[in-house]
Amino acid sequence: MIETINFKLNDKPTRLNVDGERMLLWALRSELSLTGTKFGCGEGFCGSCTVLVNKEAVRSCQFPVKDVKGKDVITIEGLAKNGNLHPLQKAFIKHDALQCGFCTPGMILNAYSVLLKNPQPSHKDILQNMDENLCRCGAHTRIVQAIKTAAKEMIGGEKR
Amino acid sequence: MTNFKIAEPQTIDQVTSLTIDKKDKYKLMAGGTDLLAEIKDEIIEPEVVVDLKSIPDLSYIKKEKNGVRIGALTSLARLAEDTLIKNEYPALHEAANSVASPQLRNMGTAGGNLCQRPRCWYYRDPQVKCRKKGGGRCFAFRGKNKYHAILGGGLCYIVHPSDLAPALIALDAEISINSPKGNTTIPLTNFYTLPKINVRKENILAPNEVLREIKIPLIKKEEKSTYSKFIERGTWDFAIVSAAVKGTVSGGIFRDITIVLGGVAPVPWRLTKAENIIKGKKITEDLVRKATREALKEAKPLEENGYKKELAEIVLYRAVLSLL
Amino acid sequence: MRKKEYFADSEEASLLYREEFRDMKTEEPEVAPSPEKDKFEIIGKSTSRIDGEKIVTGRAPYTHDIKLRGMLYGKILRSPHACAEVISMDISQVQSLPGVKAAIQLKKGRVTYAGEQVAAVAAVDEKTAEQALKLIKVEYKSLPFAVTEEKAMEEGAPQVRKRPNVQKFNEYTRGNIDKGFKEADFVLENTYKTAVEIHHPAETHGSVAKWEGERLTVWDSTQAIFGVRDGLARALKIPASRIKVIKHYMGGGFGSKLGINDYTVAAAMLAKQANKPVKIILSRRENSLCVGNRPSSLQTIKGGVKKDGTLTALYLKNYTSGGIGRGDYCSEPVVDLYKCPNVQVEEHSVFTNTGASRPTRAPGHVQGTFALEGFLEELANKINLDPLELRKKNYSTKNQGDKETPYSSKGLNKCYQLGAEKIGWKRRNKRPGEGNGKVRRGLGVASQIWWGVGRAGTQADVKLHPDGSVEAICGTQDIGCGTRTYMATITAETLGLRPKDVTVKIGNTEYPWCGGSGGSTTTPSVAPAIRDAALKAADYLKKMAAEKLKAKPDEINITKGKFSNKNDPVQSIGYKKLIEELRKERKFRREKVFHGEYVGRPSGFAYNTFGAHFAEVEVDVETGKVKVLKVVGVHEIGRLINKITAESQIIGGITQGVSTALFEERIMDNTTGNVANPNFRDYKIATSLDIPEITPLIVDTVDPRINNLGAKGLGEPPRIPPAGAIANAVYNAIGVHVREIPMTPDKVLQALKRKEVD
Ligand SMILES: Cc1cc2nc3c(=O)[nH]c(=O)nc-3n(C[C@H](O)[C@H](O)[C@H](O)COP(=O)(O)OP(=O)(O)OC[C@H]3O[C@@H](n4cnc5c(N)ncnc54)[C@H](O)[C@@H]3O)c2cc1C
Ligand code: SF4
Ligand code: FES
Ligand code: FES
Repeated sequence: MIETINFKLNDKPTRLNVDGERMLLWALRSELSLTGTKFGCGEGFCGSCTVLVNKEAVRSCQFPVKDVKGKDVITIEGLAKNGNLHPLQKAFIKHDALQCGFCTPGMILNAYSVLLKNPQPSHKDILQNMDENLCRCGAHTRIVQAIKTAAKEMIGGEKR
Repeated sequence: MTNFKIAEPQTIDQVTSLTIDKKDKYKLMAGGTDLLAEIKDEIIEPEVVVDLKSIPDLSYIKKEKNGVRIGALTSLARLAEDTLIKNEYPALHEAANSVASPQLRNMGTAGGNLCQRPRCWYYRDPQVKCRKKGGGRCFAFRGKNKYHAILGGGLCYIVHPSDLAPALIALDAEISINSPKGNTTIPLTNFYTLPKINVRKENILAPNEVLREIKIPLIKKEEKSTYSKFIERGTWDFAIVSAAVKGTVSGGIFRDITIVLGGVAPVPWRLTKAENIIKGKKITEDLVRKATREALKEAKPLEENGYKKELAEIVLYRAVLSLL
Repeated sequence: MRKKEYFADSEEASLLYREEFRDMKTEEPEVAPSPEKDKFEIIGKSTSRIDGEKIVTGRAPYTHDIKLRGMLYGKILRSPHACAEVISMDISQVQSLPGVKAAIQLKKGRVTYAGEQVAAVAAVDEKTAEQALKLIKVEYKSLPFAVTEEKAMEEGAPQVRKRPNVQKFNEYTRGNIDKGFKEADFVLENTYKTAVEIHHPAETHGSVAKWEGERLTVWDSTQAIFGVRDGLARALKIPASRIKVIKHYMGGGFGSKLGINDYTVAAAMLAKQANKPVKIILSRRENSLCVGNRPSSLQTIKGGVKKDGTLTALYLKNYTSGGIGRGDYCSEPVVDLYKCPNVQVEEHSVFTNTGASRPTRAPGHVQGTFALEGFLEELANKINLDPLELRKKNYSTKNQGDKETPYSSKGLNKCYQLGAEKIGWKRRNKRPGEGNGKVRRGLGVASQIWWGVGRAGTQADVKLHPDGSVEAICGTQDIGCGTRTYMATITAETLGLRPKDVTVKIGNTEYPWCGGSGGSTTTPSVAPAIRDAALKAADYLKKMAAEKLKAKPDEINITKGKFSNKNDPVQSIGYKKLIEELRKERKFRREKVFHGEYVGRPSGFAYNTFGAHFAEVEVDVETGKVKVLKVVGVHEIGRLINKITAESQIIGGITQGVSTALFEERIMDNTTGNVANPNFRDYKIATSLDIPEITPLIVDTVDPRINNLGAKGLGEPPRIPPAGAIANAVYNAIGVHVREIPMTPDKVLQALKRKEVD
């Protein structure tokens, strides 16, 4: 059923006319041409499609677009502000926390949600909260380091 | 994926009216983490998905005089984070915490977890029509069955995938069901049914009945509980074997004990025989292992899952000893 | 000479892969390079990825992200049967569905695995395309099949191909194996087993095809743009000159994207029929069925050793299954890694009705090393020798399998030393399994040999613009290894600039030729070619600077954006200034292209990479669960080019190796003929909680002659030893070798029972 869906996307009011049961992932990638959110499995198992909905990390491939009505959605495209990278983005580059980079947007957004809830996570907190995102290239070790660096960087707010 | 519409009832009673003459063409959806996967894989092909999330006030954890009431739409994350649950019902806390991964716990609900469909890989394969899907045979019986049931099989050998179920059964939980025929409350343990009863289903729920609430009685003095789950990976995984244990213990002796295993049977599996052996005796590793072995004598492993018997023994003795 | 047709013929895929290394002869360079004397400022240090910002902001375009005007979405119908005859097919219904723009039949006759493509459609959106597939009527006559090795090897098993299911494809002998066994004080024989793995790159396979008249442009998620171009030319019977293949960013391949794929050809055919661009993206399930896998192996090793640890004989018999493909050569470690006078090998393919294998990061070596290194561990225990000492004792300075040719460079000894120190090798159990808790620890080691040479004929350009800007161009592809970044660093280093001053262009068949990114060949191909081009550009600039500074060109030094006179450093001119003056003097008004090439290396030497991994594990002897605590991976790779990305390669290789050792297995079902676990729920891959503490270490040597930088490759090496090192650590912890990967709890428990019997 085609519905009009109003929500906030990366801080901008957005209106979409789509099938309400279409998954957010495809609405983002096709209708909105925001291809930073990746398709890795479409089954909720890999985390490449992670975005934030009202600050919670969700798998957009399993999230009907009608459920973002009136909510706040953040995708990887909305993380850098005024051309300044987010501390997490900087830390991912600094630590080379990626290889092919395909899992990276999902990793960064999942990490972002972790830091929003717990600005100073322990090593174990990070592992437990990042374990659901697959990185086939095997960058996990450095992803964890990058998150720690970003967390330090972010003490006292998100400096850019 | 087939086309389906999403219906958004505003009250629980509307579910009935929405679905009244649609026969099997609709499905209820809570968090959708399992249901949408089933639709995507074309295991089910509903025309209408009834979104229970649109009904207000089905997500809560309330402590009352005679226990705790949990709304079916309460997210697993909320359940896992709740301090009351954590302090008084560690088994439930640990079970909720062991489900899937943080993101899935954000979306998945307690009710959905209890009603989720099996993970048998034949069942999940859109090309395979096994007994559970109305076909004529169980492919797991002589096929790849490393993760299948060692107990309670026959016709179908799934293991029930829910982590909450064994914990809640051990805690003597009841559930309330909203039905067009009237509302009922039953012990959770009576909710689950073996394939022998109806191979197509895992529980007694009719398609238009809604699991509305979970109730757990107050804990007694000196009552302790735990949930222990063995998985292959460090990362999220369904239980190979899990054990929920509740009991009143003092001086190294259980006055009463309830043991429910997960991952070993099509329903959460109560180990009454082992309970009886353990009760009233000084707990030792040996005693628990012997009791488990005795209770699992009736197990009938398939070709590839015999190791679950050994694991059950280990998981259980460790769980029991952890309560001392 | 066999045509190089990756993937076009399933059987040849891994065969050709090996040919490229083992039997690859190159042209002798006219002047042998002597890279040892070069001292660098940027090369060898850490440079962050120049495309990092694009990736972390989600702006890097992957093939999945390509969207063209009017683009259609293609879907493929695949056989549900492991073996069947296509009796008839009716695709006429499809066109009646609104939105469907093209449909083609792709198969007649026999399908030989579940997942083989039989037809394809293109429609305005994915949903319509999916619905259209259901309107295709195919009548199959299903036939008996064998999808597991056990079944295929049975007497009277259904024949998978037009030949026996078991077929020998490799034999090797040196010395006299029987004599070797006679000379031994101990002889041991064991059998090791490895499972089929799926590559599962994060980005599933996919292509976009677009015709403009007779010209075809394809965006492909590939490791080999030229391979795809040439494959398309053959399949579509059109000249290669009319095809352009583009790959900007790719979400991993690990060997599964090294060649031309049948769905890419289908996309081109659909696009032709519809006269519109067509995009085909495979699902995760399809990725499990039909785009390759790492073949299984069942390897029996029999070896002889003297009391002092000298190897006298090694015999290997391998049964390897790559589905309808050939399987892997697993014998190279046995043949090459250690000194041994008497070696004999026989390898057999076992054909099954499953998708064809493809090269998988370090094909054959992952399996072969697991077996050989496990065997050595048990052998060392037999003679009461430190397993590391056993390896050192049989250290080889020649590649015995390659006609006893001496290695051009070999730093394995140094790897042993560094790794043993770092992990604390002394802490290992002197007797395997000597502890007695419920949770036991152990340490293990495994070594590695790989090729890691360049492809002769690789070309690259450095382009200088009259405005001072610089381009580095090569038709290579960055598959996550940091190719873009080191092209910039090498160019910058050579011209005295900063990496960010260089614009890198890759991933297009209109750029100078480069081979596929596989087999650890990319760095030793692209790096020397770009260095060659940059040196030529530097020569030109030096000549110009010399004129200005009234010096001879060879007296000019380039550093930090300045050209100066070696003898009189005060005499200098900045890069920008020089270009500006040349422009004003009308000497430099058009862009100048400097062409570089990697021609080859001197013969008479063996060029290999080496490494050693040390693992520490914890095993719960009651549940059989293994936890890997630490892995130290030490590699000798010739000259190090970019430290941070090289370390990432090692970390990634170890992470994948942990996954191989503990979890990964494609499970085939003999009743349905299908893959039982075609998804990330049931096909288990290690993630953060499973990953140990990883220490990557690099022995920075310079190979004196391999190329103008002295650099070897590093793609495969770190993927090779982890499974062996981890299995050996488990052995050290529990006193029994599991001999089978993945080492899931059920298998560890089984092995522990064997211990009780032993
Ligand atoms: C990757 C992955 C890993 C997982 N790992 C685990 C695990 O380790 N342990 C575990 O226990 N679970 C696991 N799960 C299952 C997960 O917990 C369930 O998917 C989730 O709990 C289901 O909740 P939901 O609200 O999303 O249900 P839905 O997907 O919405 O529904 C599931 C089923 O229950 C029915 N249903 C839902 N709510 C009601 C209701 N109130 N009344 C009647 N019927 C209802 C639906 O019709 C449907 O058939 C995993 C799932 C995934 C995808
Ligand atoms: S175990 Fe049940 S679900 Fe699985 S194949 Fe058998 S009948 Fe089907
Ligand atoms: S694409 Fe959504 S979890 Fe994999
Ligand atoms: S960087 Fe390739 S999947 Fe993570």
